[in-house]
Amino acid sequence: MRIIKLKKDNLSPFLEIISVEADLWAPVQKGDKHVFKVVDDFSKVELNTTRTILPPRKIFLPPTFSMFNISEKGYKEDLSHIKKRILFGIHPCDIHGLLILDNLFKQAYLDPYYLEARKNTLILGLSCWPDEYCFAKSTNTHIIEEGFDLFFTDLKDFFLVWIGSSQGDDLIRLKPELFDENLTDKDIQTYINWHTERDKAYKWSINFTVLPDLIELKYMDPLWEKLGNSCLACGSCTNVCPTCNCYNIMDKQFLGGKDGKMIRHWDACTLEEYSEVAGGENFRKKRSDRLKLWYTHKLQAYISKYGKPSCVGCGRCIATCPVDINVRTVGKALLGEEEDAFWVRLNMEVTK
Amino acid sequence: MEKKIKDKLKIGIYELTGCAGDALLILDCEKELVDIFKAADIQSFLMAKSDNIDGELDVAFVEGSVSTEREKKELLDIRKRAKTVVAIGICACFGGIQAAFLDKKDWEKNFKKVYGDNKMTHTKPLQSKPIDAYIKVDYYLPGCPIDKEQFLSTFNRILRGNPPELYRFPVCVECKWNENDCLLNKDILCLGPVTRAGCGSICINHNLPCVGCWGPVENANLTSEFQLLREKGFDSDFIKKKMANFSGTGIADFLGELKGEKR
Repeated sequence: MRIIKLKKDNLSPFLEIISVEADLWAPVQKGDKHVFKVVDDFSKVELNTTRTILPPRKIFLPPTFSMFNISEKGYKEDLSHIKKRILFGIHPCDIHGLLILDNLFKQAYLDPYYLEARKNTLILGLSCWPDEYCFAKSTNTHIIEEGFDLFFTDLKDFFLVWIGSSQGDDLIRLKPELFDENLTDKDIQTYINWHTERDKAYKWSINFTVLPDLIELKYMDPLWEKLGNSCLACGSCTNVCPTCNCYNIMDKQFLGGKDGKMIRHWDACTLEEYSEVAGGENFRKKRSDRLKLWYTHKLQAYISKYGKPSCVGCGRCIATCPVDINVRTVGKALLGEEEDAFWVRLNMEVTK
Repeated sequence: MEKKIKDKLKIGIYELTGCAGDALLILDCEKELVDIFKAADIQSFLMAKSDNIDGELDVAFVEGSVSTEREKKELLDIRKRAKTVVAIGICACFGGIQAAFLDKKDWEKNFKKVYGDNKMTHTKPLQSKPIDAYIKVDYYLPGCPIDKEQFLSTFNRILRGNPPELYRFPVCVECKWNENDCLLNKDILCLGPVTRAGCGSICINHNLPCVGCWGPVENANLTSEFQLLREKGFDSDFIKKKMANFSGTGIADFLGELKGEKR
């Protein structure tokens, strides 16, 4: 893989040139957090971010969108949400998240909405520095070797830029004079130092290799009931997870005529309605059963099929769940450490 | 082609105690209003027309809570005449703000405070209750006021003989879709996790906490929400008041359970 150098000052001019023919999505500030958004003011692009509130999958499959336009003549696929896009500033863990979604949406039934959007989006990755929630080193998703067109490693004064595809190379060729082909020994040493320090910066870790067995061994453990008692079933963990992909479909008919739309929206297995079938029967009426499903999928079932967890260590569930049920606390509870970390409130004498 | 009047479903839209916001919202569907009147035979809609008929109905949409003897009688009559009854708005679904005093004694005390010893001559006042306290309700369309999109979709589905298809999850889901930062995590009293979605998380989009005006979501984990807010330092009575503000009757069992609480 070819690696070149880009001066910090040259980033904005580069982003401006490449965004002429595509929407450029990049992290921008929202309150004291960050979100991916289409940018035209390149000074607003944030380089020193951790996780965005929603993962980048929202760019490929928006929370709600129209799948079909329906009329008397029949129905027609609606791919209007798909545009030429460039996604800049996506971190290694989130690129791994997209690779996991690729596996899922490329199975027996190809998902055109996801795959077409994916085909039309260039991935320009960016290195990051972990905060107290990140644990991508535990999931081995802190580094990335595939799944990007360009990858920028931020070394303070300059970027090292990995060229991951011919489409990525085409972007460089739009203005090659912005880049420097010659790396010095000093540049390489700067990269080695950055890499060593960054790997040391992860503040906590979890042993994922033992979790599939523990999920099986502790399948009937009272721990799940405790979790269920505290879970608000708000669906936030699922909505912010970069690898969650379930959806629901609703009909939308227009008044008076025969026209309508089929709307697809994000669903979550942690929500009660998810496991309800015709006739009102519900296979997972209990919150504990739904949490068990989510964690079994992330930490056990996916591993047995693909050899790695369906968790990329982004820390979004940790940053988001109001009652501290997340991969860290559930993982630690399964390991027998800090069993009550997720729910100190249960022990508080506040209600009964 | 427009249907003949005899083929159209006969609809009535009624208002009991409330702010009339839901009926107003229906009128506010300006772009669709002609289509609404074309698609159905609107027999009664006091806010929209004067030639109202109180006959047999296919569907009655009822807004507001029952707070007088006369309204109770009117409601029982609507039920008798209508094949399907849809409660629209938080007041009809869960009692609304006027039903926040769940305890009969509390209500009597407050009634006296407001009206003193004045005699009510035209009708007998009742403790305010949602319409399902008196009649069987077929469908609920919550909101304060109801949402235009949800009303049109419900209206349309019922006209076609389908049950409404509404979001059955909490506000948090829509709130995340709108990529808001969680207010609970900022120690703000937000009722999103226990409140039904459908509003598009409009308050939180404007950095205001959810006050629960869509009513409780099915099987809301009120205990966990309450404990979480207690842990954040909110006073127990304050949390209860906030929770009961719009949907008192919807969470009456929970509030009853809390009575034996330790502080």
